[in-house]
Amino acid sequence: MNLVFLLFGAAFGFLMSRAGATGYDFYAGLFLFRDLQLLWVIAAAVTVGILGLAWLRLRRRRPLSVLSLEPLEFQPRPYRRGLVIGALLFGAGWGLSGSCPGSVLAMIGEGKLLALPTMGGIVLGTYLFGLWEHRRAVPPGPGRTEALASSQ
Amino acid sequence: MIDLVIWPGWLAGIAIGALMVGLLWTTNRQLGVSTAYGGPCRLLPRGEVFRHGAFGRSNHWRLWFALGIPVGGALGVISSPEASWEPTASMGTLYDAVMPESLPLKGMVLMAAGVLMGFGARMAGGCTSGHVISGVSLLNPVSLLAGGLFFVGGLLAVQLLFLGGGQ
Repeated sequence: MNLVFLLFGAAFGFLMSRAGATGYDFYAGLFLFRDLQLLWVIAAAVTVGILGLAWLRLRRRRPLSVLSLEPLEFQPRPYRRGLVIGALLFGAGWGLSGSCPGSVLAMIGEGKLLALPTMGGIVLGTYLFGLWEHRRAVPPGPGRTEALASSQ
Repeated sequence: MIDLVIWPGWLAGIAIGALMVGLLWTTNRQLGVSTAYGGPCRLLPRGEVFRHGAFGRSNHWRLWFALGIPVGGALGVISSPEASWEPTASMGTLYDAVMPESLPLKGMVLMAAGVLMGFGARMAGGCTSGHVISGVSLLNPVSLLAGGLFFVGGLLAVQLLFLGGGQ
């Protein structure tokens, strides 16, 4: 099963490379409205996605996953507090770095060395968020140790 | 300089959309990358925070998926007739014109941009692939909002970055 995910990842990396999603200039081109390549990539992907998922959902029999035979889940991501600020911060990093969390990994495979500090930054940002969220969920003070233990 | 084969946007987009549908259909997993970055966080101090919830065992598939992506990137270069695989520190003509020339400084700017993406993606609950490709395809209004705001953030950052500088 892990091999299946590895293969899907490789196909995704290859397609991002072919799409231009690993080319820094395409990001600047998009946000300067000079070259809309990546906009067409997203528009086409979402069009196929909407049609494909609608087809899966509307089939008469409850659709099953081909490999695990469990019913397919179409759970949408929930709204969370801070989404607006978070999405704006993400966008700023997206434009500034000329890459996204997926494409930066493909860039590393292509030999683009400056994708390495970006990737390190994403790990660090994820780490800082994890610690911050944990602090918020479990405020310091009496009872902290018990709360930590029960959350394990 | 890497001279990669680039497909027309619509063609690459169709293939990426099909890959997302295929991944869900075969494995019951929604395409998304940013949560995988919780994996290496386990190795950092107090990393036990990253063994539960969204980062728990059910997300091991994401690490395998993320490991495959660089392999695909390398294949993209190797299969391009005009390109040869060689490491490069170039960011392309547009960014190189406005980014700091010193390599360590450039690296620091990119690392800061990465922190914004890592932190922002967790606050928003996903990144370009999870919210925009998977979420919008599910017609989820939350993902549509997140995707729109990603774009606003990128627009502001790039317009500011290229204000004055650039060609």
